[in-house]
Amino acid sequence: MKRGLSLQAALAAYRPDAELAPLPEQIDPDRLLSFFHPDHLRDSVTTLTVGPNAGAHCQRELAGLLQAEAVIDEVDLAGAPVTDTDVLVIGGGGAGCAAALAAAEHGARVLLATKLRLGDSNTVMAEGGIQAAIEPGDSAQKHMQDTLRAGHHAGDPALVAAMVGDGPEVIRWLIRQGMQFDQTASGDLHTRRAGGTSAPRIVHCRDYTGLEMMRVLREAVAQHRGIEVWDQHPAVELLSNERGQKCVGAVLSSLADRRLCIVRTRSVILATGGLGRLHLNGFPTSNHLGATGDGLVLAYRMGARLCELDSFQYHPTGLVNPPYLSGKLVTEGIRAAGALLLNAQGQRFVDELQPRDIVCAAIIRECREGRGIHPDTGGVGVWLDTPRLERGQPGLLERQFPKLLARTRVAGIDPRNEPILVYPTLHYQNGGAVIDVDGATTVPGLYAAGEVAGGIHGRNRIMGNALLEIIGFGRRAGIAAALSGHDRGPKKITLEHVNRARRALALAGLPLDRRAPQLLPPYTAAGKNS
Amino acid sequence: MTDSTAPGGQAVELVINGIAVRAEPHMTIVEAAWAGGVPRVTGVGCLEGVCGSCRILLRRGQDVSVALACETFAEPGIEALFLPPPAAARHQYELTDFTDGWDIQARFQEIFPEAVRCRHCHGCVRSCPKGIVVEEGIALAAAGRFREAGEAFLECVMCELCDSACPEQIAPAHVGLFCRRITAFFHLRPPNLIHRLEELRQEPFSSSGDKESA
Repeated sequence: MKRGLSLQAALAAYRPDAELAPLPEQIDPDRLLSFFHPDHLRDSVTTLTVGPNAGAHCQRELAGLLQAEAVIDEVDLAGAPVTDTDVLVIGGGGAGCAAALAAAEHGARVLLATKLRLGDSNTVMAEGGIQAAIEPGDSAQKHMQDTLRAGHHAGDPALVAAMVGDGPEVIRWLIRQGMQFDQTASGDLHTRRAGGTSAPRIVHCRDYTGLEMMRVLREAVAQHRGIEVWDQHPAVELLSNERGQKCVGAVLSSLADRRLCIVRTRSVILATGGLGRLHLNGFPTSNHLGATGDGLVLAYRMGARLCELDSFQYHPTGLVNPPYLSGKLVTEGIRAAGALLLNAQGQRFVDELQPRDIVCAAIIRECREGRGIHPDTGGVGVWLDTPRLERGQPGLLERQFPKLLARTRVAGIDPRNEPILVYPTLHYQNGGAVIDVDGATTVPGLYAAGEVAGGIHGRNRIMGNALLEIIGFGRRAGIAAALSGHDRGPKKITLEHVNRARRALALAGLPLDRRAPQLLPPYTAAGKNS
Repeated sequence: MTDSTAPGGQAVELVINGIAVRAEPHMTIVEAAWAGGVPRVTGVGCLEGVCGSCRILLRRGQDVSVALACETFAEPGIEALFLPPPAAARHQYELTDFTDGWDIQARFQEIFPEAVRCRHCHGCVRSCPKGIVVEEGIALAAAGRFREAGEAFLECVMCELCDSACPEQIAPAHVGLFCRRITAFFHLRPPNLIHRLEELRQEPFSSSGDKESA
């Protein structure tokens, strides 16, 4: 990487009213991505040798976890208490809560188990908003085209159609749960335009959309008479029938005392979210502490097919400064509102509302070619020009982006006067478990919803589709799981799938000393005990 | 992620959960706990001040306060204690129990009978890490002004530190959330959304997917 300007020099040269040269001619997007997007880094991708996706490309660090040994064995289960329920939801973010509520609405007894606290998730941090085609000039068809195109046509059209068709009903359902959205003076829902879309379609609650959604859903779940919640109980393994071909429950571990317990159930819904805390390719992340890809590991060992395991979203505008907020997001909503990106020379270099992968690759190009800005505390970035936005629309930041101001206030930065230094941050897992429109994986009895599921966003997600997906598919999975399997439940619970996976590892000559799921990132000193 | 020998200022000595820890001054209490090997710090979620999990009790000399560990920085000589998660809620309601908007005030008094008993001790206001005017919000709610009360709690992250400070056991965060939810449930009726829902009711969206234009 060529060195650009120091932060002090760049700040001294910065003027919010400086004349901007026209945007330079853009190179072919595919070339840009192949040279600069982190998915295309040399050595970042390998080929899986065992499991349902053997032979497929996979990000290297993720492959290590997918081809690892289970953390428990049959002997560990002796004496573990057994709980019976109709539907087990693993994960307490937006998708898990939507699934639990939908299953309970359809008469199921629901147990929701979550690794940290109910609501500790990526959902709570989502800022920009949620997509729903509700404006007069917009349509579900356009929403579908935007989603497929931004995903480089790798998404499953049937899943995308289901998601966009659910959009308006999802918003109504959220309002019925008690979620607020910003309105125009006439009472319409206020909409913004996201990068890579053809119409304003993002509805939002200031820049606190995820917080508003999560606290409402958390309260709805906690207050629901048909749902039981177990905090601090991560799933460490799934359970299968004696042939290892149907999911019949899960093994949970208490974070407090590490004791194991068995949950026996008709259906399991994985809603475990993403894997930003694996810090793939050494990137910082916007994700919450628990995002360690557990759901992918459990599903893969159980035999569920996954997809797009070599495709991740690096959000273009992660914070660089201060270090403790490194990788945390500045919402795309601010670019949707008109904020520009400038390099160290104070010039634009990309259309800011291109899809996220393009903008991300363009920022990395600027920094690698010596047009980045380097703070003393390490790292590199480009300017997000908030002062110019504020000059053009005085008061906008305070009205629409209170979260950004509150967060930077703690760090002693005022984005109304000073541009924000940003660099791409590991944000989202584009792929995941293969599902159908009911959220069913390729393993009977096992459902997946939210970020852990794949097939919707193709190889790049547009803003606002994550919040839509978690509610839309969370509810679909919850309903299907509640109504499925009116047999008399599982007769025998086993770890047959674990034995099968171990045999496959041994046959392939892969090491058996690595174990997964990881549950918490290593820097939390999770293994240390007093 | 955290290297306590990295350059950048004098090391800071503080105490977390009773364990002496050396940290760098720019570290948050969460980072300092990890770097110092404090065991079992799992009451941590988003690391950016919006999930409300990392509740701590903080002592600086004679001064005792509460805060969120992910946005509190290591300082020499301070003591931090990670608090357990909030106790289970005492209130119980489901929005679908509400059928008539005229009954909200009466039902609110049944669900949160403590809300009218505020003694204006400011404990909640002092304990709020988000600077919310909790007491005013509760007064608005007690007066039935649910929309305004809810707006006061816009930035609430549900850490419930206000709850632990209240001598009357009002659960202010949950009162604020109730106000926001009931306002949306009864009053948010956006014409553009309703119009699209009606269009979809008459002609549901269907797409085979292959009509998608390049």
